[in-house]
Amino acid sequence: MTLAATDTAPHLRLDGLVRHYAGAPAPAVDRVSLGLPRGALLALLGPSGCGKTTTLRMIAGLETPDAGRILVGGRDVTALPPHKRHMGVVFQSYALFPHMTAAGNVAFGLEMQGMPRAERARRAEAALELVGLAALAARKPRQLSGGQQQRVALARALAIEPDLLLLDEPLSALDAKLREGVRDEIRALQQRLGTTTVFVTHDQVEALAMADLVAVMNAGRVEQLAAPEEIFERPATRFVATFVGRAARIRGVLEPGGVLRAEGGAALRAAGAALVGQVEAFLRPHRVRLLGAGEAAPAGIENLLEGTLARRVYTGEVVSLEAQTAAGPVTAEVHASAEGAWREMQPGAPLRLAFRANDLLVFPAQGAAA
Amino acid sequence: MIGWLLALPALCILGIAFLWPLAALFRISLNRTLDSGAMEVAVTGESYAKLLGDDFTWQLVWDTVTLAASASAMAVLLALPVALLVRAASPRWRGVLALMGIAPLLISGTARLVGWMAILGDQGLINVVLQGMGVIGEPLRMINNWTGVRIGLVESLMPYAVLVLLAGLGRLDGRLEEAAATLGANRVRTFFRVTLPLAAPALLAAWLLDVVLGISAFITPKLMGGGRVFVLATEIYDLALESVNWPAAAALAMLLLAGLLALLLLRGVFSWLPGRRA
Repeated sequence: MTLAATDTAPHLRLDGLVRHYAGAPAPAVDRVSLGLPRGALLALLGPSGCGKTTTLRMIAGLETPDAGRILVGGRDVTALPPHKRHMGVVFQSYALFPHMTAAGNVAFGLEMQGMPRAERARRAEAALELVGLAALAARKPRQLSGGQQQRVALARALAIEPDLLLLDEPLSALDAKLREGVRDEIRALQQRLGTTTVFVTHDQVEALAMADLVAVMNAGRVEQLAAPEEIFERPATRFVATFVGRAARIRGVLEPGGVLRAEGGAALRAAGAALVGQVEAFLRPHRVRLLGAGEAAPAGIENLLEGTLARRVYTGEVVSLEAQTAAGPVTAEVHASAEGAWREMQPGAPLRLAFRANDLLVFPAQGAAA
Repeated sequence: MIGWLLALPALCILGIAFLWPLAALFRISLNRTLDSGAMEVAVTGESYAKLLGDDFTWQLVWDTVTLAASASAMAVLLALPVALLVRAASPRWRGVLALMGIAPLLISGTARLVGWMAILGDQGLINVVLQGMGVIGEPLRMINNWTGVRIGLVESLMPYAVLVLLAGLGRLDGRLEEAAATLGANRVRTFFRVTLPLAAPALLAAWLLDVVLGISAFITPKLMGGGRVFVLATEIYDLALESVNWPAAAALAMLLLAGLLALLLLRGVFSWLPGRRA
């Protein structure tokens, strides 16, 4: 193998990974294949039961795949037991050893490597320093807050300088206020250390904010593996379009020439002419512009829908305006600070919505032949 | 208020069937035994003084406690792998295995001991087989002595240890062992560094329960000892029914009870000890 080939080869490669629990009607993980470059952070994103945690546990060696291979740095580790894989794992419940101090927890992996006592004490302290907990080294886990336990778990996983860092919903046990800060800290630390990381989450915001690559999983399969922007803006499947981000659904028939005839009667310009036939189109609220009375649609915006306001939902930063239109219910999002006629609108008031042909994410209708 | 009302039947039974006889026993222990062997109603500590001043009593205490402690330790050691196996089993097998672990409790203690006699006796299974194979000439004495009592006691105490350990290990988070594995600990090191330290309170609880049960055991020393093994419980029986010295029997029973209470208090003290440092 040449040096150049080593450099471009993914650090972690999953190759047709399958896990089928005895008695289960369908495999928990179904032919998952993906590659992750060295130093990158991959988020496995999906609803509960989609196989993301099982995939992570197979990478860690805590679960044995029924088929497929796991390669780390070009080496096949599929048959290795977990204690020989050299991977740092942060469990959802943190799984800190309750009978050891924070320092004892962090030093445990180093002790298992046979590192001399003085050296591992120094390294454990450095690892705790890394997560800002050096002062609490002598505390037992039960004397630490949830956020502090989470950091100790992270320090413990990082102290062994793992080939791979695996995080299983590491933020889910923290309260919402803490979550964002810890999320950014983990990301900053991961980038500083350059540790290749796999992160399991059901929270799309977490996945989009942290990851270099997102693998959206559903029913044991990877629906799409791509950068966050691509996942959000150009979802590859109907599932990705609905699971990541909000979207109004417009059912209809796509005609040759790019006209979408919605069930409600509206005719819209849409891209994706290859999907002629029964389709479902998805329209993200932040893509929909609210036009003032008499305001002309800006140049380059192909679609204009008229409707009546059905409901408005105030969430602080943005206000969602749900409209009844000839294409069905469509939601537009406006900034809460934005001026405009919408401020005085009551339910039943007429409004006009504009969006581009490209904003319609078109997929074959469910049940229709692809 | 409702709680007290609901607990009333149980409290009544406890009072009538336990506290009242206990008080009566204590009253008897204060009576005097005349040289003729007759009991005279009195309030005296003579029986206690006599028992506590007698070397035989202290020999009995030593024999009983060492028997109970060693048999309990053995029972807990044997119960631990059973409890670990049950814990590691799939949910489907867990119930079956747990039931097998505590199945001896479903059979009368006397019946089990008769079974042991058929296995351990001079004409028992083990001796017949070993003699038949020519391994031994004379039969091994495994019954009507301390060995027999110890074997019987270990077997009868084990299910209780299994029960306590199952409850204790059930609270042990399996993720901790997985975490140890991901940090490079093989199964042996995981067991000694994580599983065992965390199981220690359960092991101690199981051992103490077995010690209490072992010290007060009566049928096993009586049947497996064949009249040649003397422990506190058999001695109380002999004093009451053979020597018909009720004050002495009652006094010894009270001393045994006091000792067991002290042991249970000790258990409370253990749970207050600070946890192990890493």
